[in-house]
Amino acid sequence: MSVPALEVRGLVKHYPGVKALDGVDLVVRPNEVLGLAGENGAGKSTLLKALVGLVAPDAGEIFVRGEPVRLRSVVEAANHGIGMVFQEQSLVPNLTAAENIVLGSEGSAVRRGVYRWDTMRRLAQEQLDKIGSDIDPLARTDSLSFAERQMVEIAKVLRIEERSQHPPVIILDEPTSVLESKEIETLFAQIRRLREFASVVFVSHRLDEVLDVCDRVTVLRGGQSVGEVATAGAVPGELHKLMIGSTGSDDHYHSGAASLVAAEQPRLSVRKLSGRSFQEVDLDVAAGEIVGIVGVHGSGREDVCRALFGAEPTTAGEIRMDGKKIDLPHTRAACAAGIGYVPAERKIEGMVGAMSVADNMTLTKQKARCTGPFVAPKKQATLVDRWIERLSIRTPGRDTAIGRLSGGNQQKVVLARWLVGGDIKLLLLDHPTRGLDIGARSEVYRLMRELAGSGVATVLLADSLEEAIGMADRILVMSDGRVVAEVACPNGGKPSPLDLVKEMV
Amino acid sequence: MTTHVAAFRLPVRITGFMPLIALVTLVAALTVADADFLTQRSLTAALRTAAPLIVLAAGATLVVLCGGIDLSIAALASLSTVLLALWLPDLGALATPAVIAVAATIGAVQGLAHVLLRIPSFIVTLGGLSILSAVALVVSGAGTVRVVDDSTVKWLDLYLGGYLPMSAVMAFVVVAVIAVVLTVTPLKSWISATGYSESAARLAGTPVDLVKVGAFCVSGACAGFAAVMLVSRQFSGGPTMADNLLLPAVAAIVVGGTAITGGHGSVWRSLAGALVVTLLRVGLPIVGVPSAYEQILYGVIIVVAVALTLDGSKVSIIK
Amino acid sequence: MTLTSAVATAPRRQSRRGASFRDAGPPVALVVIFGIFAALSPQFRSVDNVQNIVDAAAVLAVVTSGITFVLMMGSIDLSAAGVMGASALTVSLLVANNRNDNDYGLLGIGAAVLLGCAFGCLSGLALVLLKVPSFMATLGVSAIGLGVATLMFAGVQPNITDTMLESWAIERFLGFSYLAWIAAACILVGWLIQRYTRLGRYAFAIGGAEEVLTLSGVRVKPYKVAVFTLAGAFYGLGGVMVTSQLGAGLVQAGDGYDFSAITAAVVGGTLLTGGRGGILHSAVGVLLVMVLTNGLVQVGVSPYWQGGVEGLIVVAAVAAAVIPQRRRNQVVK
Repeated sequence: MSVPALEVRGLVKHYPGVKALDGVDLVVRPNEVLGLAGENGAGKSTLLKALVGLVAPDAGEIFVRGEPVRLRSVVEAANHGIGMVFQEQSLVPNLTAAENIVLGSEGSAVRRGVYRWDTMRRLAQEQLDKIGSDIDPLARTDSLSFAERQMVEIAKVLRIEERSQHPPVIILDEPTSVLESKEIETLFAQIRRLREFASVVFVSHRLDEVLDVCDRVTVLRGGQSVGEVATAGAVPGELHKLMIGSTGSDDHYHSGAASLVAAEQPRLSVRKLSGRSFQEVDLDVAAGEIVGIVGVHGSGREDVCRALFGAEPTTAGEIRMDGKKIDLPHTRAACAAGIGYVPAERKIEGMVGAMSVADNMTLTKQKARCTGPFVAPKKQATLVDRWIERLSIRTPGRDTAIGRLSGGNQQKVVLARWLVGGDIKLLLLDHPTRGLDIGARSEVYRLMRELAGSGVATVLLADSLEEAIGMADRILVMSDGRVVAEVACPNGGKPSPLDLVKEMV
Repeated sequence: MTTHVAAFRLPVRITGFMPLIALVTLVAALTVADADFLTQRSLTAALRTAAPLIVLAAGATLVVLCGGIDLSIAALASLSTVLLALWLPDLGALATPAVIAVAATIGAVQGLAHVLLRIPSFIVTLGGLSILSAVALVVSGAGTVRVVDDSTVKWLDLYLGGYLPMSAVMAFVVVAVIAVVLTVTPLKSWISATGYSESAARLAGTPVDLVKVGAFCVSGACAGFAAVMLVSRQFSGGPTMADNLLLPAVAAIVVGGTAITGGHGSVWRSLAGALVVTLLRVGLPIVGVPSAYEQILYGVIIVVAVALTLDGSKVSIIK
Repeated sequence: MTLTSAVATAPRRQSRRGASFRDAGPPVALVVIFGIFAALSPQFRSVDNVQNIVDAAAVLAVVTSGITFVLMMGSIDLSAAGVMGASALTVSLLVANNRNDNDYGLLGIGAAVLLGCAFGCLSGLALVLLKVPSFMATLGVSAIGLGVATLMFAGVQPNITDTMLESWAIERFLGFSYLAWIAAACILVGWLIQRYTRLGRYAFAIGGAEEVLTLSGVRVKPYKVAVFTLAGAFYGLGGVMVTSQLGAGLVQAGDGYDFSAITAAVVGGTLLTGGRGGILHSAVGVLLVMVLTNGLVQVGVSPYWQGGVEGLIVVAAVAAAVIPQRRRNQVVK
């Protein structure tokens, strides 16, 4: 067999508290389309970043056409013939398509700092011709459609062919997530055309697509390659089993502690809520109930979650807490109504890294540490210490800057922020276990159970389907901004991930 | 002083002492350069000069702590001197609170424009600077407005116990009041959270917009009070009287170690910063440097101090 | 599927429409405002006054050309006043003047422009090396420029006697002063840089998506410094032009130009967030500001209000530009 175009052996990457890559192996052969599948947190994006020089691996080797290489930047990767079409498009919106295509390697299109528009147009046209696109090279990029911009990106990535003088390896990271079905067809035709002279790594959430366009699929789980499937004759179910692995003991999710939900008036009741990326969402959550919302990237579930907290504008609909309508969209009103929100981007939105544990914990419920309008230092100390102990937060002290704690302990402080007031009724958890290690996850799960047990209603955007199924009493499936299915998820009668996947696509 | 401020805060970084160290070093250096410097007379004069600067810087510090900047303080102070001089004959003792109230309102309006229209604070206050200067020119007829009867503002130009300038005492009181109010109420953590990480503060239910408008309002009020000090000293108001205080005030804030990116800092630091800036100003002639170098010094101080106090990890792309 | 794409395309179409509105808005506003004043005041519509407006716009046009490149990157530049003061003193002491025996003519002018470059370079270096935000860095550099100017001024005003420099403000060609023609040339040069050089295009791209440039292997820092240096050259020339108008070198030569230039650029359609606008937009903006201020004076408004009017329109223009991209929870500092 020929030398692989790209090979990865035993790649390891640690982040504080997490092992993102744990000895990944990967082989990309010449002129093949390799699919890469895995759940969120399986290590896909870290692996891709390592392949284009954005992440420096801690251990392991990368071989290009049999030669070991070290990739320290996107440019170095490009010089070795590896290029990536990023999930969030990496084009300068206010430049022309041609400029974007040649950006960083203008060659003869720029002489002594002076542009030669004709040459540039010609160079760009050559790239566009390769993929048979009829986009005007001199059109401004932000005047093109999303699909057209994607073609421009592919044309841009193909320019590495000129740099490395070898057949390139093109990585496509979730290229279909925002495309219409017709555009997806065009993209797939494009990928098949690329296979004639390049190798392609295709990453997608949608397993049917992966099976449709790829020759072979490598499955990642927990930072390791756990299997390889030839797509000929394979079915999504097979892949999915590999992605999820054997479901661990339910104990992980402390399901034993799951409480029975008393069917009374729902604590949270949402009717026909619409916004930029979601339409007519209905949602009820009873006290003590954990409702999971699942959906692929772009399903709008994150925005719904933010909208419930008043942090995302809505165009229609209403939100009621215990039957009382809340003014939208207003985070202060949401807080006052007993709603708490734990954002996905903990470091940016969840906490104020430079402030102390105590300040972070009491930021929202100031009343809990004040006597009248004044801060009562003793009251604050008692309160904070009590919660540090109750949630077993490991910190040198309440005055330590929260940024210096581990991720799990940071997340516990962020959760505690909503609990110290004692008036929390509904918690919106947006990927509460993102970036946490197994132990910390388990503690967060236990805490969620405990809160549910005490009557707090919870909306959970889980990190993985497994987590959603493990934790939720009920799961809503969202797709393209709408709730498309509701799946009961009682203890002892949990659905399989596959049941949910069916609804998601 | 520092421990007092830090009652609810993290262990103070070493940079917390920098303005104090600079202050002591400066006094020492000036004493060596000129043995006459460390006399009661020149220290009194220095404190008297520093007073309006301290008040201006203290107010604007709040805006900087929220992550913004107020470039209009000096122009607002100039306008306030004109208003005070014009109103003193009619309003008498009421003129002072009236001017401070008007200045506070103008500050709040700028804050509202910043928050509601979502315009960067420096452009709002730059626009404000321009507008306020124009208003000052128009109402004063582009000339100095003399104060005939200064009996109601004269108290600010007296000396406590013979040598402690009343204006310096009042400046200290202003700083202390702001600092204490912040420390004993949730305001301190609201302001810090807003400055360090506005999005996190917002998602924690902090009244970010209110806090910002409040900061601009206090900044305006301080500019008004600084104007009263200036009028009490000069017996007149002028449309450009305080304009040259903008750079020293900004320099005082950044020299004090308040980070221009927001969150980190305090009004006490700006007090120390203002003293450092004032000493540099009065000290230059003592060591034989022409006062023309003053401007250059401000420029260098601002750039260097910002570079030193900047929380570089916080912003990846700096525009 | 269809829903997602509708969501994805809706904001884009809106921005396209927004762009065309932004491009057409300022020229239309210019014509309308000109028309209103012309109707209100016979003096305003006289040929003399139109010449006046254009002549008076010359310096501002040059300064605005410089600042436009900085704004395109999404940075800000408050150093114009200081740089212009330093350059004004430099040129007035290097050409024939009453303070010394120098008579370097064009060389002196070149030196003043180079000094402007040096100040610009200083701002740029403070930005990229010390990571000082541009508004702070340039505020500092402005103070340094004013200090340097004060040193050179040394208490005695240098009056220029250089006939060439004096003629710039006096002599006319096709009805407009030489200064106006110099300004026109500057706009042309600026446009060529913006359209045909990597520097200009990258300045534009940095404002559009700086991180993408880095990702594509472009080292943006040298370009940022170069843009500030280029802007400094324009301010330097602006200082020379003011000296020609005044016949003397003054520390306050650039007073108010920093803010007027930002006003003109913003009114012309350049976004403070960068990535939009350009030299031609700014040229229209300059005319708009000049017509407005001149017109108000002609209809009897006190000239003292000029700064106030500029302040109001800059806030209004920025606020209007922000409206299409207004989003909740977006951080504005």
